[in-house]
Amino acid sequence: MFKDVKMPEGMDPQVLEHLMNPKNYGKLEDASGVGVAVDEKTGEYVIFYIKTQEKILQDLRFATNGCQDTVVVGSMFSEMIKGDVIENGKAAIAKMEKKLGSLTPKQRVCTDMVLEAFVASLINRENLLKGAKEEVHILKMQESCEVEETEHE
Amino acid sequence: MNKLYQAKHELWLKILFASFAINDKQIKRELYNFATIEFRHMKWVGEAVLKAGDDYNYDRTQMLHKSQSVFEILRTLIVELKETAALYKEDILSQRMITDETYMIIHIASLLEKRENDAPITAFNMARKYGNKTLPQAQIDALTLFLFEESYKEYELILIYAYMQARTTNLTHFTVFQDLIDESHFHLYSFGEMMAKMGILALPRELHARSYIIQDIKKFVLDGIAEEEAAKEMCKTLSGAIEDEDLKRFFDFVNYQESYHIELMKKLL
Repeated sequence: MFKDVKMPEGMDPQVLEHLMNPKNYGKLEDASGVGVAVDEKTGEYVIFYIKTQEKILQDLRFATNGCQDTVVVGSMFSEMIKGDVIENGKAAIAKMEKKLGSLTPKQRVCTDMVLEAFVASLINRENLLKGAKEEVHILKMQESCEVEETEHE
Repeated sequence: MNKLYQAKHELWLKILFASFAINDKQIKRELYNFATIEFRHMKWVGEAVLKAGDDYNYDRTQMLHKSQSVFEILRTLIVELKETAALYKEDILSQRMITDETYMIIHIASLLEKRENDAPITAFNMARKYGNKTLPQAQIDALTLFLFEESYKEYELILIYAYMQARTTNLTHFTVFQDLIDESHFHLYSFGEMMAKMGILALPRELHARSYIIQDIKKFVLDGIAEEEAAKEMCKTLSGAIEDEDLKRFFDFVNYQESYHIELMKKLL
């Protein structure tokens, strides 16, 4: 599933297309769950909207004020899980995390932020299903995007 | 939210990006001027909306249509201008916008009468070549990422500052916001032109309300200064990495402008 994922350094046509025209970008007015992952140090965030029917991720959107890595990952990840069942969406997170080893620290944080925002949207959906009145579920990032690139091994 | 405001926002972007996409210098300049007029319309519509006790947002629906020819772009602009006119009311501002856009439509139609004005559009061909310069692939990649990153940031800054300017009662803040908006217009223009030249012209992505509804101005300014510092670093890195003298000079020039932005932003604290 993730064999085609390449970060912007590769700059293949697929990445360029995601940069020029990010998929599933924007917001959903009638979302079943809304989640935000925020880096409080820099103010960067990803917001993820999911619309579910039964257990299917029928539609989704994301938005961010973050960098292009975040946009590319958000675009690719949202394309991967759109139309799939929620459980596969969760499994996709694990697969994506496995891939993080080949990324720079900054790219890893950007990718994490997308995944965390998706997780937050699932939590928000669960909370709403349980009757909670939660407009959006917010998760604060443990690591900041300001991570030094020299840490990369 | 206000439909006319959204339409003006979209029209500004459509004309602006049409000016980037077209290679003919005369048509490019005329369209850019029209785009700046549309931006002012958008600002005035926003002021009227707020005065009426209503509000607006930066939602938009449009995608950048990858037109194949100059005439295709110009014909689309005429259609868009006419469609927006249907939203106007009967007031002085609307009269002004109607007369401006009637002129624009007539002028664009006159361009369509001269076949020599038509030409293929190269702004979307993804060629990623910078004119006749031969840059190594790594430098092209770095430049590509920089342009995507910064064109979005400049668009974001224009809209955030405009949003704050429309709501401030502090004269110093108002003036600083105007300076920063003007500066970001110039940067967006510069980067948009470069993207078109490289065949990677793309609309900046839509702004989410979390980005422009600022709750804590001090934090916003401090984050903004950190971002300007990061942009300066990117310019410095690019200037150091790119071997071409013209591009090097350009990125140094932008870098010094970012330094002054930081000084302007400090006045907001």
